Amino acid sequence: MKEPEYAKGFWNPYLAGVALGLVLLVTFYLMGTGLGASGAFARTAAVVAHGVNPQFVETNGYFKEFYRPGAPHPFVDWIVVQVVGVFAGGLVAVITARRFRISIGKGPTAGAWLRLSLAFIGGIIGGIGTRFAMGCTSGQALTGGATMAVGSWAFMMVVFATAFIAAYFVRREWS
Amino acid sequence: MTGPLAMLNDFSVATNLWIALVIGFFFGFVLERAGFGDSRNLTNIFYFRDMRVLRVMFSAICTAMVGLIALSWIGLFDYSVLLEYSLLKTYLLPQIVGGVLFGLGFVIGGYCPGTAVVGLVSGKIDSLVFLVGMIVGMWIFALGFPVWGSFYKSFDMGRITLWQIFGTSKEIMAAAIVVMALIAFVLARLGEKWHPYDK
Repeated sequence: MKEPEYAKGFWNPYLAGVALGLVLLVTFYLMGTGLGASGAFARTAAVVAHGVNPQFVETNGYFKEFYRPGAPHPFVDWIVVQVVGVFAGGLVAVITARRFRISIGKGPTAGAWLRLSLAFIGGIIGGIGTRFAMGCTSGQALTGGATMAVGSWAFMMVVFATAFIAAYFVRREWS
Repeated sequence: MTGPLAMLNDFSVATNLWIALVIGFFFGFVLERAGFGDSRNLTNIFYFRDMRVLRVMFSAICTAMVGLIALSWIGLFDYSVLLEYSLLKTYLLPQIVGGVLFGLGFVIGGYCPGTAVVGLVSGKIDSLVFLVGMIVGMWIFALGFPVWGSFYKSFDMGRITLWQIFGTSKEIMAAAIVVMALIAFVLARLGEKWHPYDK
């Protein structure tokens, strides 16, 4: 099919993949661990909740690991700073390519409210998913994929199998 | 110098965080240049319109995977340190359940966490909404932790790799994955010709 306007002007996907792989490789060489993203949002969720109800966060079975006594602030953390870097790097890439535009990414006939409601619902479901999987496309699929970790490959296969099936049911959002 | 540097030498917290910032910068830059700041470029794979997600992901995984093995061959990377201390642990069933939820979130929400960040700095309102939803998801997970906390850490298989499961070497396993990727690239092209949703 004809390449749509929003898909133009990017790197060749194989070259982009090799570049991404080299970033990942350097990360392993330097740190022994890979890339990540969702962990920064788990910490953000904990910090926001802590602002409202510190006692809940400090006693919650999951959130309390971010607020151990004597530990630094949850934002003084590798993954949080790395995601700050993603913001910066993404912004520089967008600006230098003159691609910044306030808009909504959706199928040509889908309504804006349908798309935004589903973005919210998808965010909730995906966010919960990252916690059970202990990572996302970066922290599990890329990082564990490149080191051939069993759980990461299981995660990646299940993610794509599920999404290919579920795509049929939300086709109006993307068509 | 043999890597992983931070684990074999004692890097200060400040050094680690500076590395995190620089690495993150390049990560975000490449994600944007790959086209991952737009939910349509990310979800088109599921409708066989544009399989760029598969091409980028598989090329990236193969590059880093082969690169790590090559570095360990020439003595620049100690693979045993990775296997013993930092390989991601497998919690099989929780990760499968997480994968189902994440896959749903991906196609319904249109992003994954890292790409939503790039979408946000591209001016995409849907990625902002997705990120807010994700924070809410984290709260729901924490609220329900008393219910599913024990499941979350179950089916612990430790640090285990595919080549150990299949009883082969990491080199042969990596070669098999590269072949699988090449086959997937060919199939991706056929899938794009098929694009069943747009007929």
